[in-house]
Amino acid sequence: MSAPAIETRDLTRRFGRRTAVEAVSMTVPEQAVYGFLGRNGAGKTTTLKMLLGLIRPDAGTARVGGVDVVRDRMGAARKVGALLEAHGFYGNLSGRENLDLTRTLLGLPKREIDRVLEVVEMTADAGRRVAGYSLGMRQRLGLARAMLGAPPVLILDEPTNGLDPDGIADMRRFLRSLPERTGAAVLLSSHLLGEIEQTATHVGILGQGRLVLEGALERLKADLAPEIAFAVDDTARGAALATARGFEVATADDGLVARLKPGEDARTAAAALNRALVEADVAVFSIGARPRSLEGIYREVSAPSPSPKTTLQPQPEYA
Amino acid sequence: MLAVLSVEIRKLNRSLAALLAVAAPTLIAVFVFFNMLRGKAPSPWDMWMGSASGIWAFFMLPMSVTALTALVAHMEHGPRSWDHLRALPVPRWQIYAAKAACVLALVAAMSAAVLALTWGAVELAAAIKPQLRPTGAFELAGYARTLAMMFAAALLLVAVQLWTALRFASFVPGLALGIGGTFFAVVATSAKQGVVLPWQMPVNMLATEAWRVNTALGLGAGLGAVALVLLVLHLSRREVL
Repeated sequence: MSAPAIETRDLTRRFGRRTAVEAVSMTVPEQAVYGFLGRNGAGKTTTLKMLLGLIRPDAGTARVGGVDVVRDRMGAARKVGALLEAHGFYGNLSGRENLDLTRTLLGLPKREIDRVLEVVEMTADAGRRVAGYSLGMRQRLGLARAMLGAPPVLILDEPTNGLDPDGIADMRRFLRSLPERTGAAVLLSSHLLGEIEQTATHVGILGQGRLVLEGALERLKADLAPEIAFAVDDTARGAALATARGFEVATADDGLVARLKPGEDARTAAAALNRALVEADVAVFSIGARPRSLEGIYREVSAPSPSPKTTLQPQPEYA
Repeated sequence: MLAVLSVEIRKLNRSLAALLAVAAPTLIAVFVFFNMLRGKAPSPWDMWMGSASGIWAFFMLPMSVTALTALVAHMEHGPRSWDHLRALPVPRWQIYAAKAACVLALVAAMSAAVLALTWGAVELAAAIKPQLRPTGAFELAGYARTLAMMFAAALLLVAVQLWTALRFASFVPGLALGIGGTFFAVVATSAKQGVVLPWQMPVNMLATEAWRVNTALGLGAGLGAVALVLLVLHLSRREVL
């Protein structure tokens, strides 16, 4: 079995008395698009900088492409391409010239520039000075630069920043297709939950420097405290019944939404609540599982006082 | 290392740093040109070349190094490209060593340009007013030697200014240090202690007292070389947060 694309164990970094990243153990599987979420100041940038060998951890380990970042920074750097929030382009040079600088430092053949320019559809504008580029063009050029040499791991910090809606949709499609097209795993840091939800296969959520949730996105949505919507004729009585049976309940015009406890079997719980409602003469018109949105999960786990990292157990699917 | 060096040189293409490297020696040549045209009688080559190298060492060199190091460093600070550069699989000491080599090469090229452009300016003025054609011989080797000594004596100045410019993301510390240093070098020209001031070391190459020349050259070149090595080691090990 090959090593994960990125793996950290108890990664910790302190700045003076403040612990920016505390015992983060994250795993980005090969060919995954891993959405890295967290509020401002949660420790995302510090974690990314440690993965890129830009700052040293106070404790713990970080491996990129199976290479320890602290012990062999150069070896790990060969495995990764990065698009950072600050693009770092030289405005006096053209897009092609900027790429050529990095290509030279990486010791790659010239044709690599044409390849990555084609991938991000920037060939026509590559001869223009970067000073005249829009933010979106700089983002695409940054992505092209990160892909020079086809590294097996890509670390992208807010790659949709500054893009217009069409550009965002293009970027989303592009990022989703990257693992299949290039074989690379993508670590995608973003504050746009919808963006991550539509792009990522896996997510990791940081809260106050700690990784509070991690897993495959689809499984998280399915397993983490699912919600069941009941369309009923008497919402108030239905809600009271559900609450009495220990459900967390929200009401809407056409019924109620009962949230299950993490790990609770959704089918059994739905059947039990349905039976209770019917026996209490509350008419039930429909029952439906409501898929959890990433936003809901995010708000739940990234609250100011996060609980330790949630461990997910496989749950039976609720049909 | 050659790849990193070639990257540093290519970054200068169409940059303000490259413009400054051309502009500073040109200004000296322009000054000499008009000054010569104002004259009524011919002067010796030594006077024109001495005045050009004097302006260069006294004022233009320290100010140019101040501005040049600030501009070269700002090419990375401005677009915040340190993270990108330092994340690449390139030994970090090479990045800083190439930057220092690039600045030194520019200062050396500017010194050579002072010589070449001043010669050109004098020749042009002499072509316009043949009666002002300079007297005496054009001692190329002697003038080149003086400028080379000024360059060597400026190593400590380059190291101090470059470290400040690379260490701080803001222009201000480097410019304040450079302007302040040049100011004290000017006001302390005749002071004995001035010889240990990095900004005054190059102009001491024109001194008539041998101890001044030797002290400034020894300190400037010797300490400068050591300071450049320390600069590379310090910056490459430092975390850029």
